[in-house]
Amino acid sequence: MRAGLGILGIALGVGASAVGVFLLALGLKRRNVELIRAGRRCVFVVLAAALLSVFAMEWALISHDFSIKYVADNNARGTPLLFTITGLWAALEGSILLWVLILAGYITVMARRFRSRLEDPMVAWALLVALSVALFFFVFMAAAANPFKLVDGTIPLDGRGPNPLLQNHPLMAFHPPMLYLGYVGFTVPFAFAMAALITGRFGEGWLADTRRTTLVAWGFLTVGIILGAWWSYEVLGWGGYWGWDPVENASLLPWLTGTAFIHSVIVQERRGMLRVWNLSLVLATFCLTILGTFLTRSGVVNSVHAFTQSSIGPWLLTFLGVCVVTCLALIAWRADKLHAPGRIDSPVSRESAFLANNLLFTGLAFVVLLGTVFPLVAEAVRGNQLSVGEPYFARMTTPIGLALLFLMAVAPALPWRAAGGEVLRRRLLIPAYAGAAVMLLTLLFLTSTLATVLAFGLATFAVVAIFRETALAVRSRRSGDHAGWVRSTIGTVRGNPRRYGGFIVHLGVICIAVALAASGSFGAKREVRLHRGESATVSGYTVTFTGTHTSKTAQKTSVSADLKLARGGDVLGTYAPAVSTFPNSDSAIGTPSVRTGILEDVYLTVVSSPNDKGRVTISIAINSMTLWVWIGGALMAVGTIVALGPTVRRRIRVRAGDVARPAAEPVREDLPPLGEEVGV
Amino acid sequence: MKHPFRWIALAVGAGVCVLAVVLALTVSSDPHQDSNTSRLVGKTAPAFSVQSLDGKPITSGSFAGKTVLVNFWNSWCIPCRQEHDALSSWYAEHRNDPSVALVGIVREDTKQAVRSYVKDEKVTWPVGFDPGAKAALDFGTRGQPETYAIGPDGLVVASKFGPVTPQVLDQMVAFAQGTS
Amino acid sequence: MAQSARTRWLPWIVLGAVVVGVLVFTAWPRGVDESTAARTHRIASELRCVDCESLSVADSATSTAAATRADIATRIRHGESDAEIRQVYVDRYGESVLLKPSSSGLGVLVWALPIAALVIGAGGIALALRRWSRQPRLVASEADEELVATERTRR
Repeated sequence: MRAGLGILGIALGVGASAVGVFLLALGLKRRNVELIRAGRRCVFVVLAAALLSVFAMEWALISHDFSIKYVADNNARGTPLLFTITGLWAALEGSILLWVLILAGYITVMARRFRSRLEDPMVAWALLVALSVALFFFVFMAAAANPFKLVDGTIPLDGRGPNPLLQNHPLMAFHPPMLYLGYVGFTVPFAFAMAALITGRFGEGWLADTRRTTLVAWGFLTVGIILGAWWSYEVLGWGGYWGWDPVENASLLPWLTGTAFIHSVIVQERRGMLRVWNLSLVLATFCLTILGTFLTRSGVVNSVHAFTQSSIGPWLLTFLGVCVVTCLALIAWRADKLHAPGRIDSPVSRESAFLANNLLFTGLAFVVLLGTVFPLVAEAVRGNQLSVGEPYFARMTTPIGLALLFLMAVAPALPWRAAGGEVLRRRLLIPAYAGAAVMLLTLLFLTSTLATVLAFGLATFAVVAIFRETALAVRSRRSGDHAGWVRSTIGTVRGNPRRYGGFIVHLGVICIAVALAASGSFGAKREVRLHRGESATVSGYTVTFTGTHTSKTAQKTSVSADLKLARGGDVLGTYAPAVSTFPNSDSAIGTPSVRTGILEDVYLTVVSSPNDKGRVTISIAINSMTLWVWIGGALMAVGTIVALGPTVRRRIRVRAGDVARPAAEPVREDLPPLGEEVGV
Repeated sequence: MKHPFRWIALAVGAGVCVLAVVLALTVSSDPHQDSNTSRLVGKTAPAFSVQSLDGKPITSGSFAGKTVLVNFWNSWCIPCRQEHDALSSWYAEHRNDPSVALVGIVREDTKQAVRSYVKDEKVTWPVGFDPGAKAALDFGTRGQPETYAIGPDGLVVASKFGPVTPQVLDQMVAFAQGTS
Repeated sequence: MAQSARTRWLPWIVLGAVVVGVLVFTAWPRGVDESTAARTHRIASELRCVDCESLSVADSATSTAAATRADIATRIRHGESDAEIRQVYVDRYGESVLLKPSSSGLGVLVWALPIAALVIGAGGIALALRRWSRQPRLVASEADEELVATERTRR
């Protein structure tokens, strides 16, 4: 029944997206708006189909319908409700279902937003491309990753339950959906970029149409990655939050190219330049999401997250190939038209800073991509096995990251076109002095590690530069409007939400950079064996083992060690890291217990559970500034939301309708309707 | 160079095609293939000294001149349970044969769990705890179960990662004795 | 600005001197011996833990990883060099035990390619900037200026 409903949903999805693609293609060929309108209506059927399938799956999970193989494999009667619901994304087939639902959601929003512009071939083409992607995923699900496959033979009385790691922390409910909202969201700018290439209108129209969606997708991806790091920190118990695991890298790759795009798009908007570059970045971002899915879901790489399902590999690889070949062929075909007018006047200008930013971000993406696929290439070419891990990535990404911090400080102070030396001196002197002072202080009092000293100094440089820029803008508005500080600040931010939202995101990035640098230089880790009543001291923290207790539920059996944590004479509380065994897994899963502090965390894990004499081995780690990674992530989310806000101008002297063409772009074929251009 | 983008796109396309072929090749292969054979094969077996359940030492020296099967295992690993019957039946057959010996070395487990497993599952061959995981490290183990066959001359002649079957055990012993 | 060039640049020269001083001091190789614990940690963090996924020996809690750390420390005390210790593990587990591919053989590509790509990219940008700087500057017409002015007031 539930399986039938789900399969009906998938079949409906295949049908509706195929019909939609067909109608849109026919409508575009015959220039028939009625056909396009009919094609657009298919989008809603696709959404309904995806909703139906997801509903069927959730129903099956909640009612423990073990006749469905996916449910039998990823759910058990003892699984708590939360993890029953999150079972939808606990394995490959279900996560494709979630993917399809989110994709259908994005396409529906697209179809609604552009309902009045259906006669515009750009919109019709974009819908067609997006529906084609949806069609692929529905067919993929129907043929290779069917979540509603029934179990062979007798229906089991109880299911196997989700992977223990996936039913150990509530963050599981948020991290994958956020990541998918980001991943899938890049389909929309991809569709519009393809449409721009097909229709030959590479002006700024498609950028304006997709600016908001791109930012939304980017924001979700950012939050998804940070939540993933947090989950890793709270669940995996090795004390870190980023291990350069192939799956983590796969989520980082589109983020890097997406970030490059968000920056370089500003150059195209202001100066009409970098058209091919921006198109390529969007196309690359989408292809990287597919590559990431392929790498992590086909079992070619070993990873904590990999689902190891090699039968789906060829499907994703073929789709990736089709996407890449289509993109490159379109660019090659349109090459003669793509050359943009305009030039960059000076190496010291905002444009050049954006170019440098893009070079560094694509460089980072290249490092991460190479490090991730290199072991595969080495094995295929030479048959020998190599590993590329944390030490490689740390060595390669640190200099690029430091260069980006430097740019982050300097770029907002650079004017467009060309900068005079005087302007720069005036704008950057105070921030530079602050940065140098912090470098000196770090060296004198904290550490002599080069990367950390530089990171702290550059971070200060960037923060002070951001605050200086903002303070000056607020001050000038304040004197102009005769308003208070608070109102002027709000007014300034709302007057240019993209700039100040961007600044907030930058502050978040700086927090994370500082935290990363600190965690690399400070901290301590020790493993100790304690009998009941014994204590150990690490970096001034005293940990006393007071006893164990065992809790047993249908989901798991946990043994936790009660550890009293004290610093100096102050008792900070009792923490209980645990080791849990799950009925469906042979190895024990440790759950760390963390005392979070502003500057350092105390990270406690049980290494081996109590032996027959009641002795436990625990690991005590002091991690530096981890909290600031999460704070940074939150700031990045807030900044994205601010940047999405509408621009509220101070005074309207000229009505917006009177002018529409920025001077720097003489050719602009496709102006969106008014109102969309500014706020979209 | 009239349209540089065309050439750049084609160059990138060629690069991506190569990568795609490479990825397609690896889709079918096992990601950790070389971890299926031990690098010890053909070399002198590392000397080991483990502690039996009642605290007595079991050392490699005591097996000199014999063919020894060293089995790394523990109580919680499911493949170890799967191979239990194969080991039992092999040992039942060869227990009185002076030219062969079997020793189980515990990897990543607690004494408590091993003791109860040995009692419940009637493990009759010598089992040793590996203090400081020294033997596991010296053999270069990557997990459990892993079985090594050491010939009478002290060379490692065969290894098996993953559960063994009676046939595999017989083969390993035959190989060890054939080469001696 | 009636300042002389020297006074204008003075703050920057001071700043540059401070930064260069700090950098030279941090990067200067010092004869201080690395402690055995620090060296063990460094080597362990470059070895893959063989019985776990995506973790280094330094980060892993398995008893084999603990034994490996102890073994590395022992070897350091016996005076073996970093390269010798790494080689022991390469011999035991194969090249894939190194998390940082060695810069010989095929592994050199993974280090050289990104650097080459960055250099080529930077070179390309520099070349484009040079070409642009040779081109005559587009002069904005009066109409353009007017558009810019109105656009400015809009923003």
